[in-house]
Amino acid sequence: MALSWLLLILLALAVIGYFAGRSRALASVGGDARDLHSLPSYYGYNVALTALVPAIGVLIVWLLAQPMIVNSTVSGLIPDQAIPEGSDRGLIMSEVRRVAYGLDGAVSSGAMTEAQAQDGDADIEILTKSLKDAGQVLTQDVTQPILVAAQKFRSMTSTGTIAMQVVVLALALLGAAFAYVRTHKEFRARNVVEQGVLALLLLAASIAILTTIGIVLSMLFETMNFFQLHSWKDFFFGSTWAPNFRGGSELSILPLLWGTLYISVIALLVAVPIGLFAAIYLSEYASGVTRSIAKPLLEILAGIPTIVYGLFALLTVGPALVSMFGDGGVLGVGWMASSNAVLTAGLVMGIMLIPFVSSLSDDIINAVPQSMRDGSLGLGATHSETVRNVILPAALPGIVGAILLAASRAIGETMIVVMAAGAIAKFSGNPFEAMTTITTRIVSQLTGDTDFASPETLVAFALGLTLFIITLGLNIFALYIVRKYREQYE
Amino acid sequence: MDSKAIKIAANNVQVYYADTHAIKDVNVEIEDKTVTAFIGPSGCGKSTFLRCLNRMNDTIDICRVEGDILLDGEDIYDKRVDPVQLRAKVGMVFQKPNPFPKSIYDNVAYGPRIHGLAKNKAELDDIVEKSLRRGAIWDEVKDRLDAPGTGLSGGQQQRLCIARAVATEPEVLLMDEPCSALDPIATAQVEELIDELRSRYSVVIVTHSMQQAARVSQKTAFFHLGNLVEFGETGQIFTNPEDPRTESYITGRIG
Repeated sequence: MALSWLLLILLALAVIGYFAGRSRALASVGGDARDLHSLPSYYGYNVALTALVPAIGVLIVWLLAQPMIVNSTVSGLIPDQAIPEGSDRGLIMSEVRRVAYGLDGAVSSGAMTEAQAQDGDADIEILTKSLKDAGQVLTQDVTQPILVAAQKFRSMTSTGTIAMQVVVLALALLGAAFAYVRTHKEFRARNVVEQGVLALLLLAASIAILTTIGIVLSMLFETMNFFQLHSWKDFFFGSTWAPNFRGGSELSILPLLWGTLYISVIALLVAVPIGLFAAIYLSEYASGVTRSIAKPLLEILAGIPTIVYGLFALLTVGPALVSMFGDGGVLGVGWMASSNAVLTAGLVMGIMLIPFVSSLSDDIINAVPQSMRDGSLGLGATHSETVRNVILPAALPGIVGAILLAASRAIGETMIVVMAAGAIAKFSGNPFEAMTTITTRIVSQLTGDTDFASPETLVAFALGLTLFIITLGLNIFALYIVRKYREQYE
Repeated sequence: MDSKAIKIAANNVQVYYADTHAIKDVNVEIEDKTVTAFIGPSGCGKSTFLRCLNRMNDTIDICRVEGDILLDGEDIYDKRVDPVQLRAKVGMVFQKPNPFPKSIYDNVAYGPRIHGLAKNKAELDDIVEKSLRRGAIWDEVKDRLDAPGTGLSGGQQQRLCIARAVATEPEVLLMDEPCSALDPIATAQVEELIDELRSRYSVVIVTHSMQQAARVSQKTAFFHLGNLVEFGETGQIFTNPEDPRTESYITGRIG
């Protein structure tokens, strides 16, 4: 029975439980809903939720735990001498899984009977041949230990799945029956449903948090692997980024960090003044009609995928800059050799950040109480004097928070940089030269045929973790500042 | 009393918020060096009319004012009048104390700085001290002029706002329910201050408290549903009103 069928059955049980619970509650008061403690639908929800929630919870845990248990048991079956030189247990295990799925596929397509698949003494060559004939993918020849392990894997998985189905369905039925029996006019179904809703919300919140922790941990382990293979001194304090897949790479974050910060600073120099002035116009000067048109238009900018900004940089901004600063350009200075440059990426990234800065600043400026404006205008200040002397100082902490959030986006931005900034890692102050950033190097270290045991690949995780920590720090700082600001007027 | 000069004269003033006729045909003469109180039930237009006197209603898009308001005989709605300059001459104190999130000193120096009233720092210091003294708050804050104005108590904040308003040397002070957010002790202090301010300025105060109007004002105007129902000596209005609506209001039967 497939998982989708199991879920459908659970759902059907819940629906039946809803109506059964509801009608039992109504029956307990002779059809007069006013005598019930809760509305009739609450009794229905109570039965449905009691059936569904524990069953689904167990289902999820089972689905996560079963492969782990099966893997570790089966992996213990493989003797050490069965692992060829240059390979490891993990690779053999993936081969075991491949054979197991191959057997499954062959059985279901009819190329093999179930008995043949389970035959532990089967001739390996015949088995391999029939698997290949059945169109199953095998990367190497099946050996006796692998076959045994694969068969164990299959049997454990199928027993486990059957057990799971039985347990889950039993739980659902028990839950439904328990809630159904409890359904009575005195029963406080409304309060129980409230608890259920709370549990649901809690679940959603904890999934989000647990995922973050999971991401950090996975990065952390790979980063630790990297530092076992490569000196941390070179990573943090070296001066050259020169990955070489034949070994002997110099992998220093500093040139990449320099490129990242340089491009981000240019982006912020573009985005902050334009975004802030746009926000001031929209919140202080624009009429209601202008505002209702201009603000959504500005926010459309935020919805453009960054790859499109990258194309814009590549096809429009880059060539335009070259025609101005390049050889034979309008200014005749010949500073810019190619359209891939820090300036191109910075400008376009700045454009991308404008709506981010303006939208946040607009909210913050609007949060400055009207009484501040009245007070200033009432003293004979002009509109712009009021903005400059009263509103901006009052909104400043919030605006700084907005800028920091924009900065953390700039630092994490990848696509625009890939397409517009080039790929040369170096320290240089010249904005017309190509440079590269942490994010683009992560992409290039991980694309293509990668071996997750070499420092050249693992460095991506160290880079990612460093980037994560930098942006996390910026975000926390920004939130701290924004929160401090909010307290001022409350 | 009659010998005092007319500071502000309003003739046939109409105010509209979009289609709502908020002020209907108001005629009133406000004397110099006098406290004039505007009383009336909520929504009767007294605050709206007050905000016409320094053109604060200009900041509301949908608001439209018709009729003449003369300050020292000059129409303040004339095209040649700069509303920004006008507001320096006609200061305003608001319902809720609204000190800027700056130091006490900077709050008071705000107006003089904008209008360039001080030639140097020493002069500015003088103006700040003088204004704080007139706001009757100097003794309480003289040792902490650098502390934020928002850190003062409600009553102190409101007196700071009054000091801030007098710092630009206005001729008229408009007060929109200046004590409605204050406790009785702070209210008494502000009322005492209003009485002192009368020696220099023409003060117009909007209030919901009839006792307050009776205590601080010499003239009282009663507004009802956008009309100016009765205007006269405060004693006259409270003891022997001419209009039955005024009598109903001050005896508590409407409002």
